[in-house]
Amino acid sequence: MAPLHRPRPRLLTAAALVLGASLALSACSSSGGGGESTGAAKVSRKASTSQYQGTVLSKNFEKPDLVLNDTSGQPYDLRARTAGKTVLLFFGYTSCPDVCPTTMGDIGVAMSKLTAEEREKLAVVFVSTDPERDTPQVLRTWLDSMGKDFVGMTGDLAKVKAAARPLGIAVEDPVVDAKGAVTSTHGAQVLAFLPTDDKAHLLYMAGTSIDVYRHDLELMANGVAV
Amino acid sequence: MSSRSFRRSALLGAGLAAALAVGAGAVAYRSGDDDGGAPRLTVADPYIPLPATPGGMGAGYLTVRNSGGADTLVSVSSPAAGSVTMHRSTDTSMEPVDRMDVPAGGTLDLSRGGAHLMIMDWTAQPALGDELELDLQFARAGRVVVKVPVKPLTYRPGS
Repeated sequence: MAPLHRPRPRLLTAAALVLGASLALSACSSSGGGGESTGAAKVSRKASTSQYQGTVLSKNFEKPDLVLNDTSGQPYDLRARTAGKTVLLFFGYTSCPDVCPTTMGDIGVAMSKLTAEEREKLAVVFVSTDPERDTPQVLRTWLDSMGKDFVGMTGDLAKVKAAARPLGIAVEDPVVDAKGAVTSTHGAQVLAFLPTDDKAHLLYMAGTSIDVYRHDLELMANGVAV
Repeated sequence: MSSRSFRRSALLGAGLAAALAVGAGAVAYRSGDDDGGAPRLTVADPYIPLPATPGGMGAGYLTVRNSGGADTLVSVSSPAAGSVTMHRSTDTSMEPVDRMDVPAGGTLDLSRGGAHLMIMDWTAQPALGDELELDLQFARAGRVVVKVPVKPLTYRPGS
């Protein structure tokens, strides 16, 4: 409607492509760091009757072999620490005003509607794409607004890029403008890794509603197969 | 970049105007016409989500409705903050925007995941329930002062 409301239609178009894609379409082989829409266009949805409302991935990415600091400043080995749990993984930065707090906040609200037992089965992990400014303390303060138990990882940006790339998530060096505002380019999708094989099975675009997250997180927590 | 975005917006605006004209059935509309009378602007559903980091980076969202001629939002400022800038989120990032069109008879929608205000350097740390002033400067309508409530981080209008 409003002429400035461009990104959403584009995302929806990408989503429509994803939904419309057939099984035959070869999915997300290592996509060499293209934009999100490029990544998404390569993802195909299984022509399944999945109960999940997120996009079902037919190429199941490995959980990244990533070790960075957590918000207490201690090394955090993503694979080791989250083995056997469902993991929601998002890349972003704390001086992001719009998409990052909206996405993490909405996941936080969805999590708060689950039982404590269900929440226990899930790990929400935020990896900083601006580690220079996102120190463990900065990250903890920011994450606490959305989920006290959310995991924050920060450290070597080269490692972050390397972890994101095979997932079809492009991460670029942050840019600081004259006013000191930081802009970081990062794919804004959320990936869900399931404990059955510790691989990614579901994808959520920016703009996914709290209701969709709540619906799907409940299924994940109860071990419902995709 | 911004002039390109503006041109694109203007084109889209023309398309929207054409669509509206078709919908109305009778209204003759010259696209890109700035003489469609004085803009008549109202601001709906303004809000500032509580920043995730106390006193940190914030956003502002609102809808400008226009029942008159076309106008353009050219800048925003606030006595509550040192910096208010206009941005638009893209698929993987966000870009600064130096003007935003308010089409004749249309709306300018600043909402999550799209066009938004980026607010930094708060004079005081915003708290839930605060009403902060945003001064919207339009090319034709001039200054429009809006009192904007600070809402919970995940608030959406109507929720």
